[in-house]
Amino acid sequence: MKKAAITLFPLITILLMIWGYYQAIYVAPNDAMQGEVSRIFYYHVPHAMLCFAFFAVSLVGSIGYLSYRRARPALAQVSDALALAGAEVGVVYCTIVLLTGPLWGRRAWGIWWTWDARLTTTLVLWLIYVSYLLLRRFAAGPQMQTLAAVLGIFGALDVPIVYMSNRWWRTQHPAPVFGGGPDSGIKDPAMLAAFGWNVLAWFCWGLLVLFLRYHVERRHQQYAELEAEAALGGLDPEGI
Amino acid sequence: MDQRDILDHQFVTAAYVVTWTIQLAYLAWLGWKWRSEKRNAERRSRETQ
Repeated sequence: MKKAAITLFPLITILLMIWGYYQAIYVAPNDAMQGEVSRIFYYHVPHAMLCFAFFAVSLVGSIGYLSYRRARPALAQVSDALALAGAEVGVVYCTIVLLTGPLWGRRAWGIWWTWDARLTTTLVLWLIYVSYLLLRRFAAGPQMQTLAAVLGIFGALDVPIVYMSNRWWRTQHPAPVFGGGPDSGIKDPAMLAAFGWNVLAWFCWGLLVLFLRYHVERRHQQYAELEAEAALGGLDPEGI
Repeated sequence: MDQRDILDHQFVTAAYVVTWTIQLAYLAWLGWKWRSEKRNAERRSRETQ
């Protein structure tokens, strides 16, 4: 059953990606004002929404690590692996937002970048989580996981600020697509369908890479534990 | 197709190519890391036998 699910899920994800691409490029109509360039929306906005979701996973993992690190170390390691996986997948999604956004902006606004609230807070969010990953990569010692968890929690505080930025401040960035007032929302059903399929497809893709990253980290933790045990027992972990 | 349409098309293509390149590169890196961790685990189990 588990093996079937592991085989089936990537297959469904690939089919969803192809279907989402087909919907975005061939089915959804051009925007009346922006023309074809508005099709960047079908990749840009789902990535923006989902990077928040993956940073939320990292937040849950970081809180879990700090809660369990003394009482239940095994569960703390699971939480830590989840926090790292969430942060890394979130950074990948946020990077795509920060690269596709300027491509869209150049055609829609005539500029690649502007220091408005939405763009700046998103860049700050990306920088915080890149520092989180750098900390995990280069810091050593028993405090590294604790420091990373604290940084992960502080980083997640920027998520609601990014989300609310174009509600709180007048920005160059357009108003929110959903929940941004009476005029917000996608009116055309074909556009709405293309958007929905792409959110679903990139969500499944994100779950897949999150699952992979989590398992890679768990393997790494188990190997590091064995190395530590071997070192304590006077054995050389490299088996020399 | 006028100049504006061609440019729009190029920008859409660039955005989609950037997205797929980053996602596939990340997946490839994960696959490489998975293999390397698996090799470590196998070496470790051989040593303990």
